[in-house]
Formats: sequence, structure tokens, C-alpha cells
Amino acid sequence: MKRSKSVNLLSYSLVAILLILYVVPLLFVFNVSFKSFNDYLLDPLGIVQNFNFSNYTEAWKQGSFSNYFVNSVLYTGTSTVFTILISLFAAFPIARGYVKWGGLIYFFFIMSQFLPNPMVSQFKLMLFFKDHLPFMGYDSQIGYILLKTSGTGVVFMMFVGYIKSISRDLDEAAGMDGCGYSRFLLQIALPLMKPIIATGVILTAIATWNDFVGPIMYLSSPGNWPITAGLKEFKGQYGNNWPLLACGITIVAAPLIVLYVFIQKYIVDGALDGAVKS
Amino acid sequence: MYPFGRGSKRLIPYLLLLIPLLLYVVFYAGPSVMTVIYSFTDMKNVPGTEVNFVGLDNYKSLLFSGNSSERWASIGRSLYFMFVVTILQNGIALLVAVVLNQRLKGDKAYRAIFFLPVVLGVAVVSLIWSLMFDPISGPVQQLYSVFGYKDTFFGSFTHAFNYIIFVQIWMYMGYSMLIFLAGLQSVPRDLYEAGHIDGTSRWQAFRSITFPLIAPSFTVNMLLSIIGAMQTFDIILATTDGNFNTRTMAYDVYKETFRGSLDMGLPAALSVLQFLVVLVFVVVAVKQMRQREVEY
Repeated sequence: MKRSKSVNLLSYSLVAILLILYVVPLLFVFNVSFKSFNDYLLDPLGIVQNFNFSNYTEAWKQGSFSNYFVNSVLYTGTSTVFTILISLFAAFPIARGYVKWGGLIYFFFIMSQFLPNPMVSQFKLMLFFKDHLPFMGYDSQIGYILLKTSGTGVVFMMFVGYIKSISRDLDEAAGMDGCGYSRFLLQIALPLMKPIIATGVILTAIATWNDFVGPIMYLSSPGNWPITAGLKEFKGQYGNNWPLLACGITIVAAPLIVLYVFIQKYIVDGALDGAVKS
Repeated sequence: MYPFGRGSKRLIPYLLLLIPLLLYVVFYAGPSVMTVIYSFTDMKNVPGTEVNFVGLDNYKSLLFSGNSSERWASIGRSLYFMFVVTILQNGIALLVAVVLNQRLKGDKAYRAIFFLPVVLGVAVVSLIWSLMFDPISGPVQQLYSVFGYKDTFFGSFTHAFNYIIFVQIWMYMGYSMLIFLAGLQSVPRDLYEAGHIDGTSRWQAFRSITFPLIAPSFTVNMLLSIIGAMQTFDIILATTDGNFNTRTMAYDVYKETFRGSLDMGLPAALSVLQFLVVLVFVVVAVKQMRQREVEY
């Protein structure tokens, strides 16, 4: 269809307004992060004149971000790997019909999207574990990782769909050659599912890395906090010292933005896949 | 036929399937069902105390006791949040998707930028907007002062909730936009050519060609916004922590479970109410949307 000049102009103006709304806050934070507290109070909006890099070293030290980073990497890494693995364990036999009542189990798993909010009893459960199995109870790293690991969510559903599109002849041929079930899953099926696994990894990793309420609810000692809870604590401590807080924001956001620039195509496509298939 | 051996080897898929099944039952489905059961008891968050069935007492004291006006206010706020977020977020997202779908220069970069807040996460996004909305030094206040207006933003009893809605939409608009874009890209271009020859206007083309064909992505977006808006409280927790008239049902469940009284029956009953509200709106939305979907 032909595009008229006025429509074009309208389109670009809309995009321009939105770009301002989405980019200016980030630039503003970055700008503030280099100001000394006095400079900021005197002129909050002006472009930074004297670069105050010591803000960053101070924020890094005061916020003990290195410890939070290690925790975030640990939680994101483990729960993503586990989620992919057990989603495969759940999806493969159901998609292939290798277990009885596969359809029923599928329905049972899908229900996870519609069940009532389990928060109240989850909390009771974690407190119960704390008393009886302390290694996986309330305020334990393993407990939190288990809570964040699931083989029955969106990743599971995407896997079922994808596995159905892989030819069954492979199973038969591998079985004929004496390949066992678990070896087939890990050495043959897993590599074949690369595109959908990439999507699953991205969805799970973003969700775990950014989990804000989970750590606040289930991890009480600062030593166990990931970066999200650490940032909240940092805000609590430094209230209105915005240059320092802006450093905190930048320290947390910059690695994500850099990573995003490189793999943004996969993330956007992955999120799209996840949304459409769920 | 199972090709990977017989006898005990036949059991391996079951054993592996047991891991996700156990995890799901122990950490999710089980607690979900237990929450419903707790909602009819006087369960306390103290080990060793007696538990009695109390029928609908929890529901009554939630909705019809002396201090339930706060509760009704929360419920009202949840509904307001859901309606405003669903309508504005999807409206803006659809507009942006249609605009980007005309293959503007740099459209890939724009869609990546609009999706960025989801990648940054609630902790970062909330802090960014707390800085933007700082009542003393924040840039938005400076902008307001040009028009002779002043606000206390997240510290305002009348406006804080609307600013939270703004942050919610800012954060998730890109996600809805992506879903609409996926729908739009599946609309065959020759349909528009045919429409163009028949002399349809742009608006007519949108209404009678585009809209019916992207109805499925509309349904997905509606459901995600309704469920999301009713169940999220992370932005509230990160900005106002429920102060300044910003408590919703979801926030109340969290607050009463983790920082409230020791009574677990009340938050459990509130979770069930929350579930019923979501259920009603999801069913209504799906029914409405199904009528609009067409197949080509």
C-alpha cells in the first residue's frame, strides 16, 4: 500500500516521542552517576562537568555488589540448567507417548498457569523445611534454586511442541543400535533442540536474574541475596544520595545492556516465541 | 512402541519424569491446593498450634468486618489497575506495532529499545523511575515546574498509584508490542493490495482486514495483561511499599503472609478471592475475543 507523507511524519513523531521516553531516563541515570553529591544538588539536570569516578568505587564497596553478583550468577546458572534439563525429562516422554497417561500429565502440568496463588503455603512449606531439612528450607540457597526451577512451565510447553516436530525414526534407529533412553536424551535429542533451548535459556535466565520478590520473600540473610535484593537494600541505605544510587543502577544495568546489544536478536525472538507458544 | 529396551529399562522415562513431577507437586501444585484448604481454617504461622475448620469465617472477616473498608479499597484498586493497564498498555502497544510494521528505518533497533525494560528488570526500572520522579531534584518535577505544577509522585496519596501504573506500562509495553508484531507479520500483504484496489481507506483496511487477523495475538495480550496486572506487586513493593494508597489485592496477600499477623487463613482466603476475580475476567475476555477471531 502507498504511504502518504503525512502518515510517515506521524509515524516518525510517535517513534521519536517514545524513544525520548525510553532512552532519556537511562542517559539521565548515567549522567547523574558521575556527579559529586554537591554538584548534583546544585544542578541536578545539567550535563556533568567534573567526572567523579570515585562514585563507582565507593558504590561498589558500600553496596558489596561483588557478593550479590556471585549469588545472581549462581542462581541464574543453576536454575536455568536444571529447568532446561527437567523440562526435557518431562516433555520428551509425554510428546512421544513413552509414558502412560501422558495426556493427563500434560494437562496437570499446564494447569500450573491457572492455579490459585500458592504463596501462603509455599512460605509455610519453606519454614517447615527450615526446621526439618534446613539445607533446602527458608533462607537457603538450595531452597531458593529449587523454587526457581520448574519443568512444567512455558519452557515445558515449548519443548513438547518442538519435540513433536522431530522425526521418530531417530528414536528407533538409536534404539536399534543399543542406545539407552537417557543417553539418547542428552546426546541426540538435546543437540537437535538447540533453537528452542536457546529460547528456553533466555526466558528462564531473564526471569531468574530479575526476580525481585522471590529473594525478598525467601532469603533473609544478606549473604544469600542476589543483585536485585542488594539493589533494594542499597536504596534503603543511601536514600537520596542519587549519584551513588545512580552508580548502583549503572553497575547492575550496564552488563545487561552490553549483553543485550550483542544477543538482542535472540532475546527478542526468544521472548516472542515464548509468548506466542504459551 | 518404546525403542530403548525392555524390562526394567522401560521404567527409565518414568523415573526421569518423576523429578519434574515431584518438584511441581511439592513446590507449586501442592501449596496451591493447600492454600485453598487453609482459607477455611484458622491456621497460624506458629508450629505446633491447633488447626480448626472455621468455614467461611476468613472470607467474612476479610470482606464484612469492621476494618474491611481498606480491603474493599484494595480490591477496587486491583480492578482499576487491571482495567487501565490492560487498555492503555495494549492500545499503545498495538499502535506502536502497526507503526513499526510499516518497515520504518531502524525498526529493529526501536523494538529492541522498547523491550529493554523487561531485560533490565523490576529492581532497576523502579529505581530509575524513583530517580526520575524524585520530588526535589528529579527531572520530571523540573519539567512540571515549567507549567507551574508540583507533585510528590510516589509520596502522593492521590497520585502515587497512577505513577505506579505508568511504570508498569512503561516496563511491559514492549512485550505486548512484540506479540502484536508477530501477529501483524503473519497477515498476508496481498490482502491489502486487494483492499487497495477496492478503494478501502486505511481505517477500513485496519478494521476489516488487520484486526480480525491479529485477534489471536489480541487474546494472548489481553490474558497476559489481566493475569499479570492482577498478580504483580513487585513495582508497588519497590516504589511505595504499599504506602500512599497503593495497596492492591496481590500486595495484601504478600504483606499479610510475610509481614502481617501470624494468621495464615486470612491471606489464604484473599489468594482464593484473587484467583476467582482473575478467573471471571479471563473467562469473559476469552469469550469476547473468540467471537472476533477469524480463520483464513
